[in-house]
Amino acid sequence: MPEPTATLLESLIETARLGSGLASAYRALDLVVDRYGLADAALVVDVPGLGRQVLHAGRRPIGDDEAHLHDAPEGLHTQPPLDEPVVAELLLALGAMALRYDARPDPGGSRPA
Amino acid sequence: MSLDELELELRRLRGVLAVGFQESDGLLLVELQAGPDAYPELARDATLIANQGAVGPVAVEVVRWGDRANAPRETRLRLVEITNDPAVGELQVRLALGDDEVVGRASTDHGLLAPVEATVAAIRVFLPELRFLPGWARLVETTPDRRFLVVASVTDPDTQEHRRGAAEGASPVAAATRATLAALNRTIALDLAPLL
Repeated sequence: MPEPTATLLESLIETARLGSGLASAYRALDLVVDRYGLADAALVVDVPGLGRQVLHAGRRPIGDDEAHLHDAPEGLHTQPPLDEPVVAELLLALGAMALRYDARPDPGGSRPA
Repeated sequence: MSLDELELELRRLRGVLAVGFQESDGLLLVELQAGPDAYPELARDATLIANQGAVGPVAVEVVRWGDRANAPRETRLRLVEITNDPAVGELQVRLALGDDEVVGRASTDHGLLAPVEATVAAIRVFLPELRFLPGWARLVETTPDRRFLVVASVTDPDTQEHRRGAAEGASPVAAATRATLAALNRTIALDLAPLL
């Protein structure tokens, strides 16, 4: 049974406080999928140190890439398409910050690279 | 090594664009999607990292992609305005592509289908050959702060191919209009590009 939205939101906040950047980004994707009843979602971000990265909801394999994520522009890509620019931009910002945070050269530090 | 750490280590490998995991019968399958700058020994290095970082048996699959430099440019229509003229029972949807604006109209007698019809009519001004027709729109949820979540569907009658989009709005009509755009924007992007 899927987690209720409120539970997912609490989980996202808790993960952002104590967990990794990657886990936070995936939690946020899960939250958007649940909130809008989406079949699928992925985030395409480009960050210093890691370059172009695709985060697929649920950490699932992309397989044959039917959604053409490999050449998709930066941003939130969902199935069905979701026209919520603010949500997409916030998620993109969170994903970029999360990856920068995780990829920083000093993992014990407190500031993203 | 946690799953996060394993994924991050794999993403640090040159050319890796995505990492996915799937468990099956006690085997952890790690899928790497790699871009054109991936190097020949990527699979070997990824397997070494995965075996060091994963608990239990692990298999690594590397999916290599070609050059994305030739990817088509994406073009999107923008919603400018929705107006409702109760006197004539008409809903108008104004869309923009660059500096060009067009209007699509539909009868408000059709309820929540009207914004789908008006949006498709507006798109058809830009793309007369558009093969999708209005299908339906359904209100999925009304949030406590009076926002409306709508799913809209359009259909190609020849192939019975459906495109569906979801969007939120301050009214069901606004949400249905945006959902229709969401359903079609990516599909029509290539056809719109020459118009800019």
